[in-house]
Amino acid sequence: MTEPLEQRVVTEFPYKHSTGEVIGRFLAGLKDQKRIWGQRVAGQGVVVPPVGYSETDGSAGGEWVEVKPTGVVTAVARVYRPIAQLHPCAEPFAFVLVKLDGADTALAHVVRDDLERLRVGTRVEAVWAPDADRTGSIRDIACFRVIT
Amino acid sequence: MASLRNVAVVGFAQAPIVARDAHRIATEMLYGQVRAALDQCGVERDAIDFQAAGSADYLDGRPFGFVAALDVMGSWPAKPDLHLEMDASFAAYYAWLRIQAGDSDTALVCGYGKTSEGEPDRVLNLQLDPYYQAAIGLDPTSTAALQASAWMARSGATDRQLAALAARRRAAGARNADAQLREPTTADELAKTPWAVEPLRQGYLPPVGESAVCLILAAEGKAEKMCDRPAWIRGVDQRIELQTLGGRDLSRSAGAKLATERALAMAGLARAADVDVVELCATTPAEELILCEAMGLDAAGSRPAINPSGGPLVGNPVMMAGLIRLGEAFRQLAGRADGHGVAGARRAIAHGAQGHCLQQNVVWVLGDERRWT
Amino acid sequence: MSASEPPKEPVKYVEKQVHLPYCYVAGDYKARYLAALKDKTILGSKCSRTGKVFVPPIVASPESFAPCDELVPVADRGIVTTFCIVNIPVIGRAIELPYVAASVALDGADISIYALVQECAPEAVRMGMRVEAVWKPDGERQGSHEDIVHFRPTGEPDAPLASFMHRL
Repeated sequence: MTEPLEQRVVTEFPYKHSTGEVIGRFLAGLKDQKRIWGQRVAGQGVVVPPVGYSETDGSAGGEWVEVKPTGVVTAVARVYRPIAQLHPCAEPFAFVLVKLDGADTALAHVVRDDLERLRVGTRVEAVWAPDADRTGSIRDIACFRVIT
Repeated sequence: MASLRNVAVVGFAQAPIVARDAHRIATEMLYGQVRAALDQCGVERDAIDFQAAGSADYLDGRPFGFVAALDVMGSWPAKPDLHLEMDASFAAYYAWLRIQAGDSDTALVCGYGKTSEGEPDRVLNLQLDPYYQAAIGLDPTSTAALQASAWMARSGATDRQLAALAARRRAAGARNADAQLREPTTADELAKTPWAVEPLRQGYLPPVGESAVCLILAAEGKAEKMCDRPAWIRGVDQRIELQTLGGRDLSRSAGAKLATERALAMAGLARAADVDVVELCATTPAEELILCEAMGLDAAGSRPAINPSGGPLVGNPVMMAGLIRLGEAFRQLAGRADGHGVAGARRAIAHGAQGHCLQQNVVWVLGDERRWT
Repeated sequence: MSASEPPKEPVKYVEKQVHLPYCYVAGDYKARYLAALKDKTILGSKCSRTGKVFVPPIVASPESFAPCDELVPVADRGIVTTFCIVNIPVIGRAIELPYVAASVALDGADISIYALVQECAPEAVRMGMRVEAVWKPDGERQGSHEDIVHFRPTGEPDAPLASFMHRL
């Protein structure tokens, strides 16, 4: 039997993804206004975050609708061993889907504290990244926190 | 519905699922399976009109790596070929369509990939949109956990029920020579394992595994010559769902439900429960329960037998776990399931899935008799 | 009064740094091929049906679809079948421009390998030219493709085109 031969390689892809107008304006709202905007879309209601079209019937997205930075958790996944250079933090955290007040779809994000109190149905609110750290990214919302 | 060609699965070969084959690259693992499947059918490569495959170049870390696999699929003289960056069960669907088009009577369908060479949690993050979902670092284990939590909140399912289902599949896997996990265990033991991502425990999830598979389809007239007991495809349907996880009800699989209804209607069957065997491409116990609900099946029942092979919970080679379900359904109907055979199986459902949280589903209904006359 | 819509000026793009570690398996055929380079030996695999020899070795012939079970040594010299003269720099490759990238059909092999041809003027390289491998010195070879530094002309008479047409 031949001794196995292996080679370790790390591949890095530095992508710059164009955002287009709708995603770009949504992200500008996070960065410049600290406000969360959805788009009214046929068949889906108020979609947050918006993509500019209906994912169900393909029609163009309609008017902008601001939603609240508060909402209800619809799914929770607690991560106890974060993966470096993939996950957003090194300490245990939770991925959540949050249906923001005024929205009809849920936003995927993270909760960092009060993990033991977090469950489907828990109310949470957005925590903004400091002004200097907001770059026009979904992570301009630093995380969500449990509302007592 | 207009009459379609009767097409059957006539051969299936699978490399036993292992954590890592340190001696063979993906194409080398695949070559032996293509040869074995052709040998089962008693034909050489020139008897096959069309070829299709499913794999993911990112998983293998080889951009355009699928081209290398053509060399071990018998692509010369130049053959018509299709490659999907999806589970190979979807490649089988398009191969079936090609045979329906009438210019091909036979097709070879391959799935391959060295899952152990990369890190699937990192690679499959890239299946999500880069602005909202990939950007927060979601990985497939975490999205599966989100889906499990949504299911448990709606259904009231408990950690204990997930453990019990995983233990049943582990018991089945012990009888399947191609499974990766072949040690039976108990629900008590599994329920003590640490969280992978809560609410999913490590014991409920398959470890990283790799394999290579080849399945052969043939139309009526040739199928009978290539196999003594062909598994006839009586119905098939394929459905996709939204990429945005928060735009779906994750506690349900609307796509699997619709695909099942359509495939059953095509097959002339009223209910999924009317078949003898069901093979589901579920990589977590919660996915399996969601699929059972969508299909109208009793996950705890004994007939139909669900995942008698153990299913993906005892071996989940990414990009081919769905095609293995179709191969397993064939083995059951053709009397080739050996240690995990279901006695008297005459009808089967095979399900393939792709993407985060069962985003895409294909459902096959098979029988030991032709559908159209 | 607060705005009734998000800023007119969109964010233009998002950056994503994809970080993917891999641990590749060479496979036994390629492992044996690479190990043999340390001994200045080039291995190919022989088709069990046609007898054609593939370098580097592969498990099956794409042409006949038969297994290539037998590993056989081929010569470290052969014929330039096709070539090009490279005048543009490639990231990560430090070779003085211009240089010759050639397909070399080694004696005993039925397909060509990619090789650099040096120790002659680029314009002197021609189809049919006989070349030989220049190996790294003993003790410095690692079992990698870089064990062959490059190929150089042997000075032997050129091979006639008809003799290597099937290997182009």
